[in-house]
Amino acid sequence: MPEKTPPGHFHILYFASASTFIGKTAETFPAPINLEDLYDYLEGKYPGIKEKVLNSCAVTLNLHYVDLQDVGAHDRESFPRIVKEGDEVGIIPPVSSG
Amino acid sequence: MDPEKQQLSDNGISVSLTPSPLDITSTITTVKNPAAGAIVLFAGTTRDNFAGKPVKQLEYSSYPPLALRTMLSIAQTVKVKHGLTAISMVHRLGVVPIGEESILIAVSSPHRQAAWKGGEEALELCKEKVEVWKLEEFGGDEGGVWRANRDGAVGVSLDNNKGEDRP
Repeated sequence: MPEKTPPGHFHILYFASASTFIGKTAETFPAPINLEDLYDYLEGKYPGIKEKVLNSCAVTLNLHYVDLQDVGAHDRESFPRIVKEGDEVGIIPPVSSG
Repeated sequence: MDPEKQQLSDNGISVSLTPSPLDITSTITTVKNPAAGAIVLFAGTTRDNFAGKPVKQLEYSSYPPLALRTMLSIAQTVKVKHGLTAISMVHRLGVVPIGEESILIAVSSPHRQAAWKGGEEALELCKEKVEVWKLEEFGGDEGGVWRANRDGAVGVSLDNNKGEDRP
């Protein structure tokens, strides 16, 4: 895994079209942040990314897929709503394996 | 041996990612079992064109810990569903020269029908879910295109970020 995340930060990984748009494959941001706010936060840093890249992407938190909008009904233990210090977020564009 | 290979194993299951050329014989050997009378191997090779447009080079990238976890989950599901004896899936990463294998899936079962069906289902699930991305380089001014399996033909152009590239 990537180098150690600085205190108070989380790690975010960009793949394929997301890494191309941003021009890097990973970076760190201050934690915590609500999952609901993640795309707006990235849009603020990288204008245009939402429409061109993120809207077709999925998101993982510590290797589990998450819903950015709170769909309710889940227990907060298994389905966290907040990205915490030391967490790893993945921006997952449509895959093209095979 | 392949020091850069990343692998997960379970009972009768092996999934891996590697930057090295894929080894068909060893992949088949992995699933061989005296109780299994059938082995089916799928080899996906890199094409020299996309919808008629010449492809100069292909490069695969991945989110390895997540991709391996997804591959393992697919293998477990397919193995149980089709009663397979063993299943092995390996995907190559990095630049894959045209005509070489980018993915191998081998399955074994007591009889052929389950092996055919299980092998096909494993491949389709891989292409739908495994977190690996293919960058096609066409050469010239165009730059590369990130291919997407979903919908067959959607991709994102690398150089201008103008969004979807439909041939």
